[in-house]
Amino acid sequence: MKLEVRGVRVELKSREVLRNVTLRLEEGEILSILGPNGSGKTTLLRTIFGILKPLDGTVLFDGKKLEFDEIAKIAAYLPQEVPQTKLRVIDVVLLGRTPHLSRIKRAGEIDYGIALEALREVGLRGFEERIFDELSGGEKQKVMLARLFAQKPKLMLLDEPTAHLDLSAQIEIMRLIRRQVDSGCSAIIAMHDINLAAAFSDKILMLKNGEVHLVGKPEDVITPESVREVYGVDVSVRKIGKYVIVIPAARGSGNGIHVHVICGGGSGAEIIQMLLEAGYKVSAGVLNALDSDWEIATELGCEVISEAPFCDISDESHERNIKMVENADFVVLANLSIGRGNLKNLIAAKVAAELGKLIVIEKDRLDRRNFAGKVAEIIYSEISSKSLVVRNEVEVLKSIQNFVKHRSGNP
Amino acid sequence: MQFVKFAKILVLFLICKTTLIISISFGPAGFIDIKDPLMQAVVFEYRLPRVLLAMLVGASLAAAGCAMQAFFRNPLADPYVLGVSSAASVGAAVVISLGIGSTWNIMLSAFLASLVTSFSVYRLGRRGENYAVLLAGIAVSSLLSGITAIIIYFSQQSAHEILFWIMGSFSRAIWQKVLLLTIPFFIGVTYLLLNSWNLNAILLGEEHARSLGINVERFRKELIAVTSLLTSASVAVCGIIGFVGIIVPHTMRLIFGEAHQRLLPSAILFGATLMPLVDLVSRTCTTGEIPVGAVTAILGSPFFLYILRRGL
Repeated sequence: MKLEVRGVRVELKSREVLRNVTLRLEEGEILSILGPNGSGKTTLLRTIFGILKPLDGTVLFDGKKLEFDEIAKIAAYLPQEVPQTKLRVIDVVLLGRTPHLSRIKRAGEIDYGIALEALREVGLRGFEERIFDELSGGEKQKVMLARLFAQKPKLMLLDEPTAHLDLSAQIEIMRLIRRQVDSGCSAIIAMHDINLAAAFSDKILMLKNGEVHLVGKPEDVITPESVREVYGVDVSVRKIGKYVIVIPAARGSGNGIHVHVICGGGSGAEIIQMLLEAGYKVSAGVLNALDSDWEIATELGCEVISEAPFCDISDESHERNIKMVENADFVVLANLSIGRGNLKNLIAAKVAAELGKLIVIEKDRLDRRNFAGKVAEIIYSEISSKSLVVRNEVEVLKSIQNFVKHRSGNP
Repeated sequence: MQFVKFAKILVLFLICKTTLIISISFGPAGFIDIKDPLMQAVVFEYRLPRVLLAMLVGASLAAAGCAMQAFFRNPLADPYVLGVSSAASVGAAVVISLGIGSTWNIMLSAFLASLVTSFSVYRLGRRGENYAVLLAGIAVSSLLSGITAIIIYFSQQSAHEILFWIMGSFSRAIWQKVLLLTIPFFIGVTYLLLNSWNLNAILLGEEHARSLGINVERFRKELIAVTSLLTSASVAVCGIIGFVGIIVPHTMRLIFGEAHQRLLPSAILFGATLMPLVDLVSRTCTTGEIPVGAVTAILGSPFFLYILRRGL
């Protein structure tokens, strides 16, 4: 079924909650509505379902305007609040037949059949006689989905169907919705979880203060800019195939302390993330582009001194690295492998050690990760004597915090 | 399964019928003797209307309690706890003290007072937590009980009269009252039975009921009207009898479960069974008459404790 919302304006208690909202939905599509609390997601769903009357604009089902009791026959709406009731599961699912029953409502054999089939679809056949209140959170939401399926809708409107559920239940619920949509209906889902929305939706609609901010494919709509504009937070966005993943971005250097990380080959990923989380300004280098540390550091928005893939560190990059070392408050030498190509990183670390600002993470002895021979050994032993050597990332963070606390400036 | 359900209802029906026979068999005038013309008169003029009245009142209050528990989604909601009964007694007391207390006037005035009160309690209690509506009910109820007592006191009535309205009694049962109560009883009970499906829906919450295409606003108004009608009509003929709307539905829930297609008819049947039994106890166990409301209050407290243990 085709749904069209045209220029809808809704007021609640004389406050404008939706303004000029327009959207289209084709059969077999899932549209997720994203937006912060109070942006009008629930109001939009209730308006489409006909509970609220728009002051301007129309909602059209296959091009037709429908009355409230007619809408329930083709659309099903799942409110956000999970009911509390001691009704049996089958009684709850049978309620889905309500719009299809005659004036004096009694469920017939056909209705029972449809209800049992809906329970089978959500994988809860055999739960008929169980008491709804005694189910787990995930099971309850699946029963509610079965209630929706029993309504045989052409359009499903779901208000945060995965709220308060554990990860596996969230994914199961979304898969069930997807399967139902694939068998010939469509769905609009109000959501908070951007990643889940991106993974399961054909289209994303971002609402901000009751207005459509953006609408389109997940990978086009979900960008650091749009998330900042709608939610007011800084994030970085990674794309893996068709999946879009939103990660909290560096909180920026509240304390103004700059930590430079010398790493490579994945040795720096963890410390970079921890430092960023702790609010430090982080830079990294020299890293070959496409190295796993390089990917993470760039994704998380750090300043990175880059070298072309699979190339030795050039003099130019090395110089920039030295500059960075000089400017930084602390330098961390990660537990990286040393080869001919990145020997210059060790030299940069030596500079830092001489400046008295180096912290070395030594998880493995150097000889296990040294592929540059005697030279590296000599430099490393010099470095070790002039710097703070720790066993893991947590200790790095602790020692930096200690130094900062005692205002001693340099380690 | 179907057979078991049918058997349960059948047993309940038989118990109800037995109660009717037992209730008309015993009384202060002694055990029933069909050949004695005086006894025939006692049974027909006194015991039979009394038992029938008790049955109608029991069934009405049980049905009203059942509907209110679904509507307020609160297991402690009932006409007495939410103050609807007290409102009816104020309505009745006002017309009586004004000297226009025909049975019809009493019923009408009681109904209007109940209607206003139900609606106010709903408005007061809807915004808060589960207990908000109970607090609203208790506040309204104690206020109105006080007013009833004062009205009766100033209209120079006896303490016995006050007791009648506040604790309830079937001692003034006459055929006219039975016939008068029959009308609201049938209207109310028929409406609720026809809407038992929607009562299930509203049990999930108003928004869920709306999502099933039910016109919740209209249904809510109708439910308030119907429960007020059942309650006020009962109070108008026999005063306030508390806790019936809690005792009966909760007992039936244990046997028949929560779904109103079975709960409601069984509660009506059991209400019609329990009330004459309670009345039988209150009029035979001592030489005088214990107020019926006192007996139901004693029966009611274990149910409050049961719900307390089980959680609201």
